[in-house]
Amino acid sequence: MNILVLNCGSSSVKYQLIDMDKEFALAKGSVERIGMSASVLTHNPHDKPQRKISREILDHIQAIDQVIAMLLSEEHGVINDKSEIDAVGHRVVHGGEQFEKPVLVTKDIMVELRNLIELAPLHNPHNIRGINAAGANLENAPSVAVFDTAFHSNIPDHAYIYGIPYQLYTKYGIRRYGFHGPSHQFVSEQAAELIGRPLEELKIITCHLGNGASISAVDQGKSVDTSMGFTPLEGLLMGTRSGDLDPAIILHIMAREELSLHEANTLLNKHSGLYGISGHSSDVREILEAVEEGHTNAKLALNVYCYRIKKYIGSYTAAMGGLDAIVFTGGVGENAAQIRSQCLTDMAFFGITIDEKMNASHSSGIGKISAEDSNVGVMVIPTNEELVIARETKRIIEKG
Amino acid sequence: MALQSVFVIGAGVMGCGIAETIASHGIEVYLIDKTTRLAEKGIKTISENIDREIERWGLTNSDKRAILSRIHPSSDLALVSEAQMVIEAIPDRLEPKQELFDELDRLSPPSTILVTNTSTLSISEIGAVTRRPEKIIGMHFLNPVTKVQIVEVVRGLRTSDETYQYIREFAELINKKPILVHEYPGYVTTRIIVPLLNEAMHVLMEGISTPEDIDNAMKLGFGFNVGPLALADMMGLDEVMAWMENLIGELSDHKYNPCPLLRKMVRAGHLGVKTGEGFFKYDADGHRIRNNVVGAKAEVEE
Repeated sequence: MNILVLNCGSSSVKYQLIDMDKEFALAKGSVERIGMSASVLTHNPHDKPQRKISREILDHIQAIDQVIAMLLSEEHGVINDKSEIDAVGHRVVHGGEQFEKPVLVTKDIMVELRNLIELAPLHNPHNIRGINAAGANLENAPSVAVFDTAFHSNIPDHAYIYGIPYQLYTKYGIRRYGFHGPSHQFVSEQAAELIGRPLEELKIITCHLGNGASISAVDQGKSVDTSMGFTPLEGLLMGTRSGDLDPAIILHIMAREELSLHEANTLLNKHSGLYGISGHSSDVREILEAVEEGHTNAKLALNVYCYRIKKYIGSYTAAMGGLDAIVFTGGVGENAAQIRSQCLTDMAFFGITIDEKMNASHSSGIGKISAEDSNVGVMVIPTNEELVIARETKRIIEKG
Repeated sequence: MALQSVFVIGAGVMGCGIAETIASHGIEVYLIDKTTRLAEKGIKTISENIDREIERWGLTNSDKRAILSRIHPSSDLALVSEAQMVIEAIPDRLEPKQELFDELDRLSPPSTILVTNTSTLSISEIGAVTRRPEKIIGMHFLNPVTKVQIVEVVRGLRTSDETYQYIREFAELINKKPILVHEYPGYVTTRIIVPLLNEAMHVLMEGISTPEDIDNAMKLGFGFNVGPLALADMMGLDEVMAWMENLIGELSDHKYNPCPLLRKMVRAGHLGVKTGEGFFKYDADGHRIRNNVVGAKAEVEE
């Protein structure tokens, strides 16, 4: 059974075609910088050289068309016919309260998914476009939606209830949901393997730092708290998202600038974060370059970014009453040594010390970067949300 | 719904707003006007609208590139030979619209749905010149199209259920709440708002209150975003009067008689925001000039 996994992020589509009999990726790749200048499609077939094309790819519909064409291409493809794709597993960001588990996509489910758009305006529309584009291209392959929120469905009520009238929870489902579930799940399982102890004995903090960013407290293999909340806007500072904010600020700005709901929403989701503070870029790589060149606000943005992560690590250590490991993952977490180092500066009191040399020299793959005498293991683990999604998809398809 | 592209005919204010709205939902748009220059002027209008929205944090630069890349200006009406759906947005007069629909009927495949954007005209009358009245339907978008969240979907006498259902789905696809209207003069929005504006003008003419207080009464008293007099200025007083005259022509009910003050102002060329003066005064950018210099001074002295 071959499963195509599509992970449509805010400016990227990641894909893998996985042979589930061997859990082996026939091809993986991504389309990056969608809607920005010079989008790049990188395609890695398992038995052929990498193929990279750069062209303008303006939205997710175009991106998925290109991906399917690439999988079928005579020169670079890995299958001969669309029928070799047995199912498509989609990452869907927000499952609300009704989706605590993955689900086979039907017309009715699509309606429910669309109703969830307002909870995740930056993601669910792209996920839904991905499902539609896949459905149009692959008429015979069923689609399964795997939700970011599902891994966090065990968070206790004292961590998911907000300090507002309780009836808003019962009426509108307003509570913390959390996101990046498959990623937090995957890297915490990998961390346990690396440590060589059962996951059920461990307290782990997982930092998923990508274009969006969230941090989770994983106690005995279960998420007990996470930084993203009702929507993926809460918590850490992100590329263009504000993260934690005094809610009165937005009311104040809306009144002063006479902003509509839509404008306020875009302000917080697309004009804030690293980009908003620096006025320069939403991309951590570009921020780090600008800091080198002496860009003052880029430096400020970077400091805010790292300080937030540090605060969350402290509070989740308290929440779990201890800590065995910290995991960095996601594009930034896996590649930006400087950020990992800055987040964990002066944490010896918590038993966290990193080996600066190992941190700086870590290039790819799984790696431990904590110092010999650190009580807490610090590690870099590349995430594999796609494999988690493929496994869940297979399970749903086989169940019928 | 598998909709690849939509053809919008007429690159005026409404046509541009409709084209931008559709393109921002991922659908290709062919924006057609009489000359390439006019069509390209439409693109410029859209580009400027988006820039204003970026300044208000409502859109981003990459949104702008994506939207503009999907709008293709042209002067070639024959392109509709490939169209699934055409939206006409030329000036709101019957003869030119009928001429255009006759031409669209000949140029487009029989399956193409032809939509007219009109605020007052009869869909049935426009459709009568074609061989496909069942595929003729009205979509009354309100200005500014990108912001107003509703569209009136107007069924002519012979519009089919399929066409109506298709357009409802299309409206939802571009994130507009469709309002069902069975063709009748003024539909729902114009029919209700115009007498309200007219009544506000009567209240002013009879010296009962000031323009500011009339607008405040309705804004703060009844939760309107804009007061009726400011709204009339925004719509254009000539437009408001034309709608009233259309309603009275169709329905012969004296309640649609334009207020004498409205007639006087239109005759004087005070048409609202577009001429810089209506019930209030406006600068070149269309921003209201507030005559509160005296009040401000008094405040400072306090």
